[in-house]
Amino acid sequence: MEVLREKVEEEEAAEREEAAEQAEHAEKMERMVRLAEVSKEERILTQDELRDLEKKMMAVEIPIPAERPIINKAIIDVSKLPPSYTTNSPKEEHLLQVADNFSRQYSHLCPDRVPLFLYPLNECEVPKFVSTTLRPTLMPYPELYNWDSCAQFVSDFLTMVPLLDPLKPVVKKKEKVSPKKYAVKPPRDLTSRFEQEQEDKRQQEIQALEKKRLREEEEHLLEAEKSKPDPLHGLRVHSWVLVLAGKREVPECFFIDPLTARSYSTKDDHFLGIESLWNHRNYWVNMQDCWNCCKDLVFDLGDPVRWEYMLLGSDKPYLSLTEDYDEGMDNDDDVEYLGKEDEDKSFDMPPSWVAQIEITPEEFETRCPNGKKVIQYKRAQVEKWAPYLNNNGLVCRLTTYEDLQCTKGLEIKEWYQNREDMLELRHINRTTGLHVDYFKPGHPQALQVHSYKSMLPEMDRVMEFYEMAREDGLIKREETPMTMTEYYGGRSDFLSYRHINFGPRIKKLTQNSAESNPRPMVKITERFSRNPEKPADEDVAERVFLITEERIQLRYHCRDDYITASKREFLRRTEVDSKGNKINMTPDMCISFEVEPMEHTKKLLYQYKTMIHLKNEEKLSRHQAWESELEVLEILKLREEEEAAHTLTISIYDTKRNEKSKEYREAMERVLHEEHLQQVETQLDYLAPFLAQLSPGEKLTRWQAVRLKDECLSDFKQRLIDKANLIQARFEKETQELQKKQQWYQENQVTLSPEDEDLYLSYCSQAMFRIRILEQRLNRHKEMAPLKYLALEEKLYKDPRLVEFLKVFV
Amino acid sequence: MSWPYDSMQLKVMDDNMLKVAVGEQGPQEEAGRLAKQEDILFKDVLSLQLDFQNILHIDNLWQFENLQKLQLNNNIIERIEGLENLTHLVWLDLSFNNIEAIEGLDTLVNLEDLSLSNNRISKIDSLDALVKLQVLSLGNNQIGNIMNVIYLRQFTCLQTLSLAGNPIAEAEDYKMFIYAYLPDLVYLDFRHIDEQAREVAKIKHQYNIDELKHREAQMQAQLEDEQGQREKLAEHKLAFIEHLDGSFLFESLYAEDMEGNKLSYLPGVGEFLEAYKDKFVIICLNIFEYGLKQQEKRKIELDTFNECMQEAILENQEQGKLKVAKFEERHLQCLNAIREETELSNIEKKLIECSDDINELFNMLMMLEMQLVEQLEETINMFERNITDLVGLFVENVQSLMAQCRDLENHHHEKVLETAINYLEKILKGEMDKDLPDDVRALFVDKDTIVNAVGASHDIHLLKIDNREDELVTGINSWCTHLVDKIHKDEIMRNRKRVKEITQYIGHMQSELDNLECGDIID
Repeated sequence: MEVLREKVEEEEAAEREEAAEQAEHAEKMERMVRLAEVSKEERILTQDELRDLEKKMMAVEIPIPAERPIINKAIIDVSKLPPSYTTNSPKEEHLLQVADNFSRQYSHLCPDRVPLFLYPLNECEVPKFVSTTLRPTLMPYPELYNWDSCAQFVSDFLTMVPLLDPLKPVVKKKEKVSPKKYAVKPPRDLTSRFEQEQEDKRQQEIQALEKKRLREEEEHLLEAEKSKPDPLHGLRVHSWVLVLAGKREVPECFFIDPLTARSYSTKDDHFLGIESLWNHRNYWVNMQDCWNCCKDLVFDLGDPVRWEYMLLGSDKPYLSLTEDYDEGMDNDDDVEYLGKEDEDKSFDMPPSWVAQIEITPEEFETRCPNGKKVIQYKRAQVEKWAPYLNNNGLVCRLTTYEDLQCTKGLEIKEWYQNREDMLELRHINRTTGLHVDYFKPGHPQALQVHSYKSMLPEMDRVMEFYEMAREDGLIKREETPMTMTEYYGGRSDFLSYRHINFGPRIKKLTQNSAESNPRPMVKITERFSRNPEKPADEDVAERVFLITEERIQLRYHCRDDYITASKREFLRRTEVDSKGNKINMTPDMCISFEVEPMEHTKKLLYQYKTMIHLKNEEKLSRHQAWESELEVLEILKLREEEEAAHTLTISIYDTKRNEKSKEYREAMERVLHEEHLQQVETQLDYLAPFLAQLSPGEKLTRWQAVRLKDECLSDFKQRLIDKANLIQARFEKETQELQKKQQWYQENQVTLSPEDEDLYLSYCSQAMFRIRILEQRLNRHKEMAPLKYLALEEKLYKDPRLVEFLKVFV
Repeated sequence: MSWPYDSMQLKVMDDNMLKVAVGEQGPQEEAGRLAKQEDILFKDVLSLQLDFQNILHIDNLWQFENLQKLQLNNNIIERIEGLENLTHLVWLDLSFNNIEAIEGLDTLVNLEDLSLSNNRISKIDSLDALVKLQVLSLGNNQIGNIMNVIYLRQFTCLQTLSLAGNPIAEAEDYKMFIYAYLPDLVYLDFRHIDEQAREVAKIKHQYNIDELKHREAQMQAQLEDEQGQREKLAEHKLAFIEHLDGSFLFESLYAEDMEGNKLSYLPGVGEFLEAYKDKFVIICLNIFEYGLKQQEKRKIELDTFNECMQEAILENQEQGKLKVAKFEERHLQCLNAIREETELSNIEKKLIECSDDINELFNMLMMLEMQLVEQLEETINMFERNITDLVGLFVENVQSLMAQCRDLENHHHEKVLETAINYLEKILKGEMDKDLPDDVRALFVDKDTIVNAVGASHDIHLLKIDNREDELVTGINSWCTHLVDKIHKDEIMRNRKRVKEITQYIGHMQSELDNLECGDIID
């Protein structure tokens, strides 16, 4: 074939770039899927292996719209595919011949190199040229407009299936060399030499251990790779995407790995070489030496020395690409244009045989096949789910492991979405058993963070709340089995901290019910922030209720220019009388230290009042502490209920899932539809019988239209006249009958029985009524008829079917 | 409402009566017992009720400094008096008395609720001091002029007003008038004012109100203007350059200078005078601007100094607080340990430890204080030096500017003298015989007279300039000395206060420990 010049070149990059520029993401995706790159060193790849490769490619070709969730070729229902999948058009046959010719020339000229990956079999076992598997498509999702999010989508969609050759690509493993697990501690200055030596020894031991561990790890690695780490290095094949610089502000060429959606520089070590490139327009073979990976490659596809193209038609200098490929529409023109110029040599790439990609919003949201994807990392595993797929709202789970085999879990992080209880992230530490739940704003109890080891009350737990969300200003509540600490903010009583010490629970023998037996409180410590309205000497900073000792300690705020603060201690020992109410205040019940002694505080009365006030406050504080305990129980109960129910919320904008709005919408649609039907019924087509006279499909002429109008009008006129006549006839008939009856009555008046007379009279009145009605109708008809006629005439003039022809006459 | 005086037994507000009232109305039960035991001081009383007592004169209330609520209703009081000391009063009830004029309330700035109903008041007046007034009851009085209500517009907090039972309340327009003129009022005669009625009233009296508002605004503006000017003058005074931003000084030169004024009638002198004035005013303005700049500089200097002092003190305080807090923690543990300890020897040992601790704290705190004193001393001295330098520089420059003024005056004097002598010669020659005022002509008798006259004018001018200069220099110098003195004094006070605080605290701790000791020994 002359089409194949010696310097036929392949390029996938052009296509890549064009994709970028055209925003045809799905196309890009597809392309990405189908691009198979053969790494350069893979010289020994036999025909069979090529088949394997092909098969692998087939396997990878999931995103054919209909078979979205299917990964295996076997599951694809071949019979339902369009004929383009199962047959080759003449043009495609021609192309295959061209490709075959190219391939033969190539293997003749470059016998050392791996046979080209040109026309693998598709899912229907039909050979297809790789370029024709690409179909540029613009998808309606803004996320697919740029390469990064688009690549992410594709990578979510793809699942890595190893080639039949059961080796995993070495490259991938090497990417993640584990970081050093130890770091030498910076030397301490003031340590003695002896200690340092000891330290060194210890370090050495650790190092030895570490080395051992490393060695073991490596062994593990080797094991994992089935003890064949290197022999195939550089022989493995992979396909990836090249984005060429130039369009859509792409500053330089780069690779995208379709399985991870990560971008790599073209100089990256992991990419050992390129065998060939293609896009939907052409196919290029790399003629450059890849001894230094891809670092020295020049991606100027217009250079026939470096890139041997297969089809001449698309042979273009690199730089001009930017101008020519601006729009998808241009492509055909270019090819045609070139074809005319160089008819013998150019060949038009046939259109893609692949069906148009369609991604429904559901599929787009689901992302992964079946909505689930598992990514395995070294010592970690990520599982992703589509929203609403799990009924507890779980969308992502990251599990980290201690060992390479991923058996001993270390930590689990679970991300949730659309939960009604606003749970966002759950962090579980397997070693300590600590659960930490993070909530988004909006939890009914304003929870922000909840960390716990067990859901049982009176255990170690920390609850953090959204500030300002709670009325009582609680920010944080920490609990241990014997204490509870609460932190407050923004309260009008300036309380900032409350610490409660509990004593051991007393067994209640007399109590009949077991429902509430709160732990006795031993001590309540409350701290207050400064109230600027009070003088510091009267503003309590801390008060401690020693409940069992019956003591109250107060510490006041420190004055601005002082370093000591006033203190006061109340002893209630003597206060409790036999009556329990009467209190004898004595000076020794209050010990106070005042920074600036004041007169009024010395008074017993003042002290008495303060003490009474504090007594009440103590009761209040105990009550509040008790309420806090209850609240904890309540929150725990609520959490358990929420966990059990795990209701998911549905946005009102989510038309698909929101049942209510769906019902409403459907109802609205139904109503609309019904209304429409009614309208149709009421609007009888007055022209229909006349139009029916015309032969179907015949176009109206002006003459016909005029005639149609006239006919319609005359018909209507006739009907009006008929109607008038009908009414007239009935009227006359009634009148005649009445006259007859009257005559009859006059004749037989004498002989008539009273009943007959009654009958006659009633008949008369009824007849008169009918006659009157008919008369009215007739009159009204006479009045209305001309108006109706005119109305119809006007309507006809405005009728969309006739308006064009009748315009002239109006 | 005249009470039959004769049938009543008049009571005098004496100590006894007050004591009884206080005792009856004071705390009850246990608290009452304690109160009695300790004797209630009048100044601690917050509320006092003295109704139906047939009191004629308010008296003897001066001790109730902290009284907040006072009820004197249903007496026969004729004058409001003796309430001057009750500045904390919030609630005052003087209803059902025989008061004829509102008076004696000028010190009660905290009053919020004032009841004067059922009296004989005919004019709302003398309430200006009551800026917090919220409730005012004037029902059943003899207020006859509706325009008197406008007086109440100044009370922005006033919410409740009752005027029922006054002659004005019978007027047809009474309610509308009040709604319109007192727009912030919420209740009138114990009824809520509804918005609609208020709107109607507003529209009805729109014109008058607008006029009133306009006048009020003008007054307000004027007041603000005056205030602004006063503030400006105060600011200038602070910089010691008041009245130097214009020709004030120059005019004062001629204010008492008869001869000078007379001489200005001479031909030519007027021109000199103009030129002289211009130059003089320019120099004055220079002084003025320079003075403002210097004032700014001094202010910055002082502010920086204060700030630094404050920072140092605060830091020191923080350290002290930390030390005290640490000590208290340790001390508490110690005390608890002692309480739990049973063996006497151990107790003693621990007590000694404790007291050592206290001593150590004392030493530490005192050391901190000494450190601070030294630091501050140094800073203060530095500041003193700087501020004195600044003031010295200012004085020096002002003096040189003032010297320029004197030069101008001398120059002017020479010119005037020359002109005068020339003129005299001309007069003596009989050449110039224009119609000069007689008193001016009187100066031109002979050379001595005219020279003396010109000299006198010159002397007066120089004196004025000298005076102004002296005023400025003494002013700034005394300010400087005062400032420095005050800083030193403040620092000494601070130091004493701190030392006192520390000793007091240590004393408390020590005595607490001693008490414990005693208690233990007793135990």
